[in-house]
Amino acid sequence: MRATLLKCSLVVSVTVGVFFALSGSASAQITRYQEDQRLGTESHIGNVTGHAKAAAMDYRRYCVGCHGDDGDGMGANEPWLDPKPRNFTLGQFKCRSTPTGTLPTDEDLFDTIARGLDRSNMPPWNTFTRQQRADLVAYVKHFSPKFQTEKPGTPIQIPPEPEVTADRIKTGQVLFQKLECWKCHGVEGKANGPSADTLQDDQNRPIKPYDFTDGTRPKCGSSDQDIYKIFMTGLDGTPMPSFADNVKPDEAWDLVFYLRTLQPMHSKERQIAKQLGLKPIDPNAPVPEATPAATPAPAPQQ
Amino acid sequence: MKTGYKYKLAALFSAFLLLGLGVMILGQKVDAAPPSGGSVAGTVKLDGTAPHERSIDMSKEPSCAKEHASNPVKVESVVVGSNGGLQNVVVYVTQGLSGNEANSTQMQTWDQKGCQYIPHVIALNPGQHFKVVNSDQTSHNIHPQPKNNSEWNKSQPPGSQPFDVTWANPEVAINVKCNIHPWMHGYMAVVKGPYAVSDNSGDFKLEGLAPGSYTLTAWQEEYGTQTQKVTVAAGKPAAVNFTFKAK
Amino acid sequence: MTSFRRSLASALLFVFIVLGFASSAHALPAFARKYGLRCSACHEAWPMLNYFGQKFKDNGYQLMNDRDAPIWQNPSYWPVVFRITPNWHRESTNKVLVDTPAGPNSGEVQVTSHGFDLSGLDFHTGGTLDKNISFYVLPSSDPTASFHFEQVFARLDNIFGSPWLNVKLGKFELDNLVSEKRILTLTSISGIYQTYHFIPQGDGNIFGQIGDNQLGVEWMGHSVNDRTRVSAALLSSSDGNVNLSYGNSYSGFFAASQAFDVGKLGVDRIGAYAMVGEAPTTYITQNGGSIIPGAAIGNKSYSREGFVGLFYFGKLDFLAVTQHGSDSAWFGAGYGDLPGGTIVNNNIPGTTLPVGARAPTWNGYMLETHYVYSPQLIFIQRSEWERMSQQADPTSASNFGDVDMYTIGYRYYPIMTSRAGFAWHNEYSWTRQRGTAPDGGDLSSSSLLLGFDFDF
Repeated sequence: MRATLLKCSLVVSVTVGVFFALSGSASAQITRYQEDQRLGTESHIGNVTGHAKAAAMDYRRYCVGCHGDDGDGMGANEPWLDPKPRNFTLGQFKCRSTPTGTLPTDEDLFDTIARGLDRSNMPPWNTFTRQQRADLVAYVKHFSPKFQTEKPGTPIQIPPEPEVTADRIKTGQVLFQKLECWKCHGVEGKANGPSADTLQDDQNRPIKPYDFTDGTRPKCGSSDQDIYKIFMTGLDGTPMPSFADNVKPDEAWDLVFYLRTLQPMHSKERQIAKQLGLKPIDPNAPVPEATPAATPAPAPQQ
Repeated sequence: MKTGYKYKLAALFSAFLLLGLGVMILGQKVDAAPPSGGSVAGTVKLDGTAPHERSIDMSKEPSCAKEHASNPVKVESVVVGSNGGLQNVVVYVTQGLSGNEANSTQMQTWDQKGCQYIPHVIALNPGQHFKVVNSDQTSHNIHPQPKNNSEWNKSQPPGSQPFDVTWANPEVAINVKCNIHPWMHGYMAVVKGPYAVSDNSGDFKLEGLAPGSYTLTAWQEEYGTQTQKVTVAAGKPAAVNFTFKAK
Repeated sequence: MTSFRRSLASALLFVFIVLGFASSAHALPAFARKYGLRCSACHEAWPMLNYFGQKFKDNGYQLMNDRDAPIWQNPSYWPVVFRITPNWHRESTNKVLVDTPAGPNSGEVQVTSHGFDLSGLDFHTGGTLDKNISFYVLPSSDPTASFHFEQVFARLDNIFGSPWLNVKLGKFELDNLVSEKRILTLTSISGIYQTYHFIPQGDGNIFGQIGDNQLGVEWMGHSVNDRTRVSAALLSSSDGNVNLSYGNSYSGFFAASQAFDVGKLGVDRIGAYAMVGEAPTTYITQNGGSIIPGAAIGNKSYSREGFVGLFYFGKLDFLAVTQHGSDSAWFGAGYGDLPGGTIVNNNIPGTTLPVGARAPTWNGYMLETHYVYSPQLIFIQRSEWERMSQQADPTSASNFGDVDMYTIGYRYYPIMTSRAGFAWHNEYSWTRQRGTAPDGGDLSSSSLLLGFDFDF
């Protein structure tokens, strides 16, 4: 009797389990992204080669909730997220080392996965191995036909970072005024410029400019090189344009240094600005013509 | 020695001939001369009362507001001339093209003046170059938002050099905006074959169509598209008129 | 003496079963709801954490994307989760003393019981009070809804912006890499890790159970990507019991681990831990034998040391734990527990140890294997072996009290959302303890469980 009961319960449990397992795999087949030849997409980061196929399970485990089965950013949690999850099918990415309008490099996507995107729901996924991340890069790419037809842009050249000087910071401030960064980011970098409230992203959703003064990290990384890249490549899909046509590579460093003075974090730039008694720009004053670094001050004439 | 001279002369002559032919061919292209003389002309009209277009408040950009002090700018989504002609309508061919039409090489200009796009609508062939110019005393960012081409977003501070752009793929129409000045809107229609944009009387003229049957499409940013069939004969322009109904 | 040991053994076994079944695992749709991530982002299979979930926990329940403070949540958001497991289970023990016409306890039979049942209920609340201040409060009940505080702590995270400085205070789970509170096995036998709770037969030291949540303060540090982790905790030697009922003794718990990238396989981790401390064996009494709560003296020492490893081979992974345990001879002779319980063995001044009493030592081994077919279906196996190396009583058989435990099962998660967790659980466990049956033979029991494990 006892043995029969045990057998019965075992049979029941196994049957129920198998039923669940089968029903699960059947529904998974329907919802899962239709596999096609794009799953052959690869990524190359250093000596690591990523394969889209290998990332399918990780994508399902970690990414689907927001980015969706089809990579279109319409995961189950999309309605509750702001900023919205990236739609991979468009092949458009904020954080790039490549010029505006071009596809990012594999390294750009690789870095974004590990760094996360501050002030969004995207956390730093730095728990993955390099191989896992490379696989996920390939998987992200496989969603967009663009990666099949176009090559990534050529990364912008970043000259070696020069020494921070008072002159460079002052030149950077002139650029900040001349390029009218303050129109959105505000004269003190508080994201309160005259156009700040009207900004919209490509889907016409309201979007805020970066507030330099609140102590958070810029979206695409917090190193000097990252900030350099942000304004020289633009954040595609957002109002942030590329300034590459209007800022010389060396001048760009001056702007980086000035932007650092707006951030509350302790930095050499901030220290120098304090010593200089640097005041926020006056947007109504004309842009100073000669910039200290570009033209050495002429000897006094009088 | 003599023979050598003769050959040299022949070589020189043929080189000149080639050069001349080249110039002729290129010249034809530059003039966008039609492979044969067919064309379509007509007028786009608005049936009904033009919607009231509100004025744009440019007070946030004093340098632009100043330019329009005497004559405030209005939203340009429906621009109607005195005779009811509808401006800024793109007319192009959607059926009947041979596929061998050469893309125009004419350089167009997309100017930013008084915080407006001038012109408000341009039409282009894929690969046709256009120049983005900032004539204002303020920074703009040019932010086209294509669906079928690569999106980009570039800043253009006052006094900076114009830059040259092309679109690779047909698309009607690419919305262009300036995030700094949210009232700025314009459209770029990228189409294959001959195209025209109606002027302030609503008139347009499509040139360079080989004789044959075509379907023409007219696109207006507010009212969408209309199509008409037309048969083009050599010599005489075919007449096609479009009428959009006011909403 | 032997019969006392046996009754103690059965008592402990009963306590284990009850505790084990009410054991509280932390699977929190509260966090999933907060961040919109699926369970599978943080859990290999909830409640067991994966590496990303471990990092989230180590960061103080923060994703570190500047959306961690509660200010970012909808004001009506409240981080609370209920978890309970209605089930059908069958328990069987091979040798139980029973009354017969010949007299009390004169017979020995196999006892089997089965039926529909409930697990205990857990109310998990946890999260951040502010950026870098996290908390956890977990009232937990047994199946009769009698509640206790399973876990209560607040933690200062990333002090001075450094991931190496995190301090928590309260009642919390020790920094066990292989977490018993996140156990994937649920039967009355497999609901705890034997290795984390093993007590030699007749031993009175309940304080060295690293599977139990403990009262204390813990410093924890980790590298930014959580590859390197270290922690040290100062604990009251009370096995997590409140009201200072065990008096004034402390233990320390130390853990460190390092993870390695192993390419396609994933991230593997190895670590070591140690618990060393003292616990009371003597309680001052009054009124002819009533213990004065908290008046414990006669602290004796004990220690637990072990190695852990988490190894991934694609869909297959292994959790391995080895532990060496050692108790003072006083514990081995049955002194220690419990105030309010029996005082037969209270170490009143002048008591001497039985002749030849030795400090018991033993080794435990545990190997748990998971085959993660998909984030929604996981197959589980665990084997545990507890082996005495030195008996407290030299006359005991060398294998007296040794435990073998095997369990096998699977969990299927038909839904995978960020709002709730639901699993079909099916598992069979079997255990045997040497020489602890009433007739001096081996005591073995089995448990089969089928149920819905859910939280919301």
